[in-house]
Amino acid sequence: MTGAAAIRAALVRRGTELAVLLFAISTVLFFLLRLSGDPAAVLAGDEANPETVALISARYGLDQPLIVQYWRYMASLVTLDFGESLRANQAALGLVLERLGSTLLLACLALAITAAISVPLGAWLGFRPDANARKATNAVVFVLQGVPGYIVGLLLIQLFVVEFRLLPSIGNQGPSSWILPALTLASFLVPKMVRVVAANVSEAMREDYIRTARATGAGEGEILMNHALPNALLGATALIGTQFAFLMSGSLITEVIFAWPGFGALLVDAVDQLDFPVVQAAVFVIAVLVALVNALTDILFSLLDPRLREQGR
Amino acid sequence: MSARPATGLLPRLRVWPRRAASDAMLIAGLAMAGLLAVLTLLFGLNPPESAYTGNLMSRFQSPSLGGHVFGTDQLGRSLGARLAAGMPWSLGIALVAAIIALSIGTVMGLIAAWLPGWPRRVIRTVVDTVIAFPSLVIAVTVIALLGRGFWPLAVTLGLATWPIAARVVYAEAMSIVKRDYVVAAVLAGVGPVKVLATHVLPALRPTLLTMFAFTFADMLIAESALSFLGLGVPLSAPSWGNMLAESREHLVAAPWMMLVPAGAIVFAVVALNLIGDGIAASARKRGRAIG
Repeated sequence: MTGAAAIRAALVRRGTELAVLLFAISTVLFFLLRLSGDPAAVLAGDEANPETVALISARYGLDQPLIVQYWRYMASLVTLDFGESLRANQAALGLVLERLGSTLLLACLALAITAAISVPLGAWLGFRPDANARKATNAVVFVLQGVPGYIVGLLLIQLFVVEFRLLPSIGNQGPSSWILPALTLASFLVPKMVRVVAANVSEAMREDYIRTARATGAGEGEILMNHALPNALLGATALIGTQFAFLMSGSLITEVIFAWPGFGALLVDAVDQLDFPVVQAAVFVIAVLVALVNALTDILFSLLDPRLREQGR
Repeated sequence: MSARPATGLLPRLRVWPRRAASDAMLIAGLAMAGLLAVLTLLFGLNPPESAYTGNLMSRFQSPSLGGHVFGTDQLGRSLGARLAAGMPWSLGIALVAAIIALSIGTVMGLIAAWLPGWPRRVIRTVVDTVIAFPSLVIAVTVIALLGRGFWPLAVTLGLATWPIAARVVYAEAMSIVKRDYVVAAVLAGVGPVKVLATHVLPALRPTLLTMFAFTFADMLIAESALSFLGLGVPLSAPSWGNMLAESREHLVAAPWMMLVPAGAIVFAVVALNLIGDGIAASARKRGRAIG
């Protein structure tokens, strides 16, 4: 398979998944909203009077037959029209897109921290199979894996904000306020990535080409840096796609803890206030983002891995 | 294929735990989980009065062996009692969600492994699609519509998680259905449901047990995350996530209000991870690779 064909295949696959996903989510949302009672009443909120409910019902065409409603709803989604936010007088999609940059900044910082910690630590763990320090590190990683990210976030606040008063903990006020949220979000991924890199390195160390490299007199450091690690990282690259979805889950919580102005916090707020246009727009943007990252990872992976480049799969 | 349900694609670290360590891990995990189960049955289902009624004279007491072992909160309620009262919520929801996820996942995985053609294609597409999407986003959105409470939460988490179980079961079952004794049973005219139930399912047992422990742990984390966001169990219920959410406003005055539920969550998750890794390791020892 050539590079171009691989890229096309990746785009088609992820594009199909995205279409199926968006269709399914929209349909489920549509029917759940109607199953759970009068959607006009839900949209209007708890304290609304009957006139408001009737007004909303007419405004959203909720007095029409179900199939007509569904058709209109789908048609408006195809044209990216999610309607206006019920709380802020703004287009829901615009509200979400405004916050895209903040969420991406946090995600990129978290990925960078994850890589900076898990690549060297994982390489060391996988490379030196018999040190006591390794066992101890493994035990620590094992326990850390059991510490949910939001607890890490609270502990960081306790330590750096409450005890030492070193760092700000609320909102985006420049680089010093990025540190704690980025560390918190990274903590969702680090224990896993350490284990993956370690497993991949230790697996690579058993491969034939390592033995060949040793036989030709390559030093241990050279073997790790030139042979084992590149292969191990290739495996880890393929995981970025799946882990990005996980990262988005984590950013919901991280953004709420640190009042970070991203769309994760926006989604949680919108759910809390039953602001469905915003919920739908946020879910849509997240779905597109995840699909995009997955497609990019597929492409990157097929370009990086010489085995895929030559043989195809 | 991975035995780690939450992530699907991540391989477990194979070189560790070692054989000797695997039994110790399993025993330690079971002991910790047993302790939680006993505490839940003893105190959780019938929590002491002090879990709900506070005493303003004794608010913000730090943990001490003489008084309240886990300290008290902003209303003077005993955190130990609240921890116990939260067990049926946090552990119960996680347990039910894990059972739902594994039941649906097992059935779907078996169907996909047994029926080539469109059933397999449809199931695999659904599974791949859902796994690629942030599960917390699905859960948050569905909860917006279903409302809060024990059952909506358990069902939502179960429904958002079954594809991970389905993928593991599918991969494992694909190799099992090709085994000679399964082929022989089919040739002997045994019906598909019976073959799957009596020949394929038992071979999946270590995988399912491992996955159950990990899924239970992940559901516990997810439940407390949702409660922490204020989208989980009713705010009056002292679930561990709700306790954490409350503690945020008192980090300066009473850091133990955060540390106590956080410690409980970590304790339970580590126990379940120990059990999962222990089962996986001992299954590997007997020559059955799970991870």
